[in-house]
Amino acid sequence: MSQNRLLAILLSVLAVLVLAVGGLSAILLLGGDDGGGGGSGGTTTAPGGGGSAPAEAASGRLRLASNDPVTLDPHVAGDALSAEYIVEVFGGLVTLDQDLNIQLDLAESVEVSDDGLTYTFTLRDDIEFHNGARVTAEDVRWSIERAASRALSSPTAMAYLGDIVGAREHFFGLAEGIEGIEVVDDRTIRFTIDAPKPYFLAKLTYPTAFVVDRQQVEGNPRNWTRQPNGTGPYRLVEWRLGERIVLQANADYHLGAPRLAEAVYLLSGGSALTRWENDELDVASISINDIERARDPNSDLGPYYREWPQFSVSYLAFNTNVPPFDDVHVRRALGLSIDRNRIANVTFNGMIAPATGILMPQMPGYVPDDLTLPFDPEAARAELAQSQYADSMPAIVITETGAGAEASIDMQAFLEQWRTELGIEVEVRQTDFATFLADQDSGRLQAYNAGWIMDYPDPEDILDLLFHSGSQLNSTNYANPQVDALLDQARTEQDAETRLSLYREAQELMIEDAVWLPLYFGTAHQVVKAEVSGWFEPPMVIPRLRYVEVDR
Amino acid sequence: MGTYVVRRLLWLPVILLIVSFATFSLARFGPGDPVAVAAGQIRDPEVLDQVRRERGLDGSVVEQYARWLTSALQGDFGESYTIQRGFTVTELILPRMWVSAQLGFVALVVVFAVGIPLGLIAARLAGTWVDPAIIGTLLFLQAIPVLVLIPPLLWLLALQLQWVPVGGWDGLFEIWWIAGVIAVPIPDPRLYVPLIAFTLPGFVGVARLVRVSALEVNTLDYVRTARAKGLSEAVVQFKHVFPNSLLPLITVVGFALSGIIEGAFFVETLLGINGIGRLTFQAVTSRDYDVILATTIIFSTAFVLMNLLAEIAYGFVDPRVRLGASRG
Repeated sequence: MSQNRLLAILLSVLAVLVLAVGGLSAILLLGGDDGGGGGSGGTTTAPGGGGSAPAEAASGRLRLASNDPVTLDPHVAGDALSAEYIVEVFGGLVTLDQDLNIQLDLAESVEVSDDGLTYTFTLRDDIEFHNGARVTAEDVRWSIERAASRALSSPTAMAYLGDIVGAREHFFGLAEGIEGIEVVDDRTIRFTIDAPKPYFLAKLTYPTAFVVDRQQVEGNPRNWTRQPNGTGPYRLVEWRLGERIVLQANADYHLGAPRLAEAVYLLSGGSALTRWENDELDVASISINDIERARDPNSDLGPYYREWPQFSVSYLAFNTNVPPFDDVHVRRALGLSIDRNRIANVTFNGMIAPATGILMPQMPGYVPDDLTLPFDPEAARAELAQSQYADSMPAIVITETGAGAEASIDMQAFLEQWRTELGIEVEVRQTDFATFLADQDSGRLQAYNAGWIMDYPDPEDILDLLFHSGSQLNSTNYANPQVDALLDQARTEQDAETRLSLYREAQELMIEDAVWLPLYFGTAHQVVKAEVSGWFEPPMVIPRLRYVEVDR
Repeated sequence: MGTYVVRRLLWLPVILLIVSFATFSLARFGPGDPVAVAAGQIRDPEVLDQVRRERGLDGSVVEQYARWLTSALQGDFGESYTIQRGFTVTELILPRMWVSAQLGFVALVVVFAVGIPLGLIAARLAGTWVDPAIIGTLLFLQAIPVLVLIPPLLWLLALQLQWVPVGGWDGLFEIWWIAGVIAVPIPDPRLYVPLIAFTLPGFVGVARLVRVSALEVNTLDYVRTARAKGLSEAVVQFKHVFPNSLLPLITVVGFALSGIIEGAFFVETLLGINGIGRLTFQAVTSRDYDVILATTIIFSTAFVLMNLLAEIAYGFVDPRVRLGASRG
C-alpha cells in the first residue's frame, strides 16, 4: 500500500509533532476533512441472487470516520485509504487472514511446481460477483491482464504483477496478453513467474491482482467504480462524495457470511474524538493531545482505549555517495548520538515506539532484540575521530516533507544532540511531497527523513527493495556486496526458515553500516465503543469488517 | 458604459488564456509529477515513463497545453488524477465551491456589518482619543497576514479557552431543538475562527473608508444646514450623514470579495474546511494538473468579474466617472 501510506506516515509524524508545538500544521496537513453540498449521487447495486442462506443473519451498524478514497479501482489504487475500502468490496485468488497469513480466497487450492516457477490455482465452485454472476478462471485472467495493461497504465501494477512472465511486455505494449497466464479450464488458472520467488503469493494479496467484473468495466469504463460489482464480503451501496460511504454485508460471501450487517464511513465532520464522545462514531483515532487522557484507565476514555502496532517504520537515511556520508564512521557517529528512547517517552508522550531494527514486530524475520545503535555519546565521538571528515565536516542538509515551517520536533532534538555531543551543525530543508519524491528518485538528497509502510508482509518488500545495490528504489546508493549476496540468496530460497535467517543477517549488516537510522515503529491509537467486539486495526490493510460485531 | 462592459468582457477570454498558460507551465516545470505521487513507494522509472506517455504527460509544455486547451474549449476540463481519480474536475469542484460560497457570503455580510458601525463611530468621535485608538488598532490588525493570524486564534479560542473546535466544516448552522418541536438555527461554532480570519482585513478596510467618507460628509454644506435648522444630532447623523457616507461602499464590495477569495487558500487549508481553496492547495501539492488549472480559471474569472463590477459601481455612484467615455 504505497503512496498514501507513505504520505500518511510522513505527514502524521510531522503533524503530530507540530501540533504539540503550535497546534497549527496538524490542521493544515490532516485537518478535519469535510464535505460540501452536492456531490455524486448515491447508488445502489442490485442485490446478489441465489446462494445459500447464511447460518445467522448479519446485524449491527458500525460507524467510522474516514475520507473519500482516491479510487475504488483495485488495479490502479496505490494508497492505503483506497485499499481499505477495496479489500472489503473486492477479492482475489488469495487474501490475508487476521494474523496476516496468506489465505485462499477465490481459489480453493494452489499448487506450486517443484522449481517454484508455476503456480496452479483451482477456483472454488461457489464464487460469485455481488450481482450473482459466476467467477471463472477467464475472469481472473482478464482482470490481471487489465491491471497490467498499457491502456490502464497503472503506476503500481508492475510492482505486484511484474514477476509474471510476459507481464512487462504486456505493460509496455510489446505483447498482447500475458504469456505467463494460462487458463486451463473454467476453474483452473496457471501462472508462470520469472524466478522462483517465494513472496509471489504475498504480492497476489494486493488489490492489483483482484478480480473485477469484465462486463461492468467494459460497459462503463469511466464510472464503473462508483457502483462496483466485486466478490468481497461487502458491497458498496452508497458513495456520496465528501459525505458518506455505506458498505453492506454480502450474505453469500464464500468465506463465511459477515456478522456485521453494515459499515457507514462518515467522510465529513470535525474532530473524530468529539464525535465519538458524542456517540456519533464507534471508533476514533487519538491524537497526541488526548493521549494522556486516553491512557489513564480512570478517565472517561481509558476503558475504551486500544493501541495497535503498524507495519511502518520511520527513519533517517544517508546518501552513501555524498560526503560526509560516504564514510561509515560519520553515519555511525550521528546514530550513536541521538537518544530516541528519551524523545519517544518525553517528546511524544510514549505515543510512538522507538524502532528496534528495520523489520517491525509481527513481520516475518523480526527479532525482539534491539539491534539499533544505542545512545552512546562516548562511542559517537570515538567514531567521529576515526572519520576522514573529523577535521573538515562538509555542510549537512537533511530533507523532509513539510510546509517549510519548523522542523519536526524530534528532528529538532536530533539537531541539538548532534550539536552538543559532536559539535556538528545540521540543516533541515522541507519540501512538498511531490518534490520530495522527485529528489529522492534522482538520488540528489544528501540525507532524508522518511517512512516506509509495508506493501506485503515479506521482508523482501523493505530489505531487498530499499537496500539491494541493484534496486531502483535504493535512494541511499548503499552497496554492500555481502548484503547483496544475502538478499540475492533470500530471493529464491525455498525454505522459509533459512530465508528469514538470511534476511536477519542482512538486516544486522545494514544497521551496523548505519545507512539508515531506524527511528520509530508506527502505532495506531484508538478508542472503541463497548458495543463493538472483534474490532482490530491490523498492521497493514486487510479485510476485517466481517469479523466485527456491533451489539446495539 | 454598455460598450465598455462588453469590451471588458471580451478581454476575459484573453486574460484566461494567458493565466491558464502561465499556470500550466508553472505546474509542469515544478519538480515531481502526479504519476510519481500516484505510484507512491514503489517507483520504477521505466514504468512511470510508460504511464506518462500513456497519459499524455510527456511532450513539450506547448504541446500539452494545446491538448488541454482543445478539450477545455469543448467543455471537457479533464479529470482528477491524484485526488479522486476518474472524477471530473466539475464533480470535484462544485460541492467545494458551495462550501466556499456559503462561507464567503457570510464573511461578506460580516465585513459590512462590523466595518460600517466601527467607521461611523470613529468618525463621530473624531478629535477624541477614541478615533485614533480605533484606527490605530484597525491598522495594526489589518497588517497581520491571515497566515499569521490563524495559529494564535486557534491557540487562544480552541486550545486554551476550548470555545471552538480546531477546524472543520459542518454547514453554517447547527439546529437546536427546543422541546423537540421548535428548531432554532444557531451559527456553527466552527464558523468563528474562519470568519474572523476572513473578515478582519475586510472590515478594517470598510471601517476606514466609512470613517473618511463620514468625516467628509460631516463638513458638507447640507449637513451644516441640517444642524443650523436645529435638527437633533441623532437625526443629522442618521438621516444625512450615514446614508451619504455609505455610498462609496458599493465600490468596495468587489474588492472585499476578491480579498475573501484570496484568503480562502490559507483559511480553508489551515482550518481543514473542504472548500475550493483547500482543494487548490491539495491539487498543487499532489500535482493534480487538471484540477489546478480548473480552480485557477475559476479564481481568475472571479477576480476579473469582481473588478469589473467595482468599476461599474463607481460609474453609478460617482457621475464623474465615465467608463470608456474618452474612447467610446
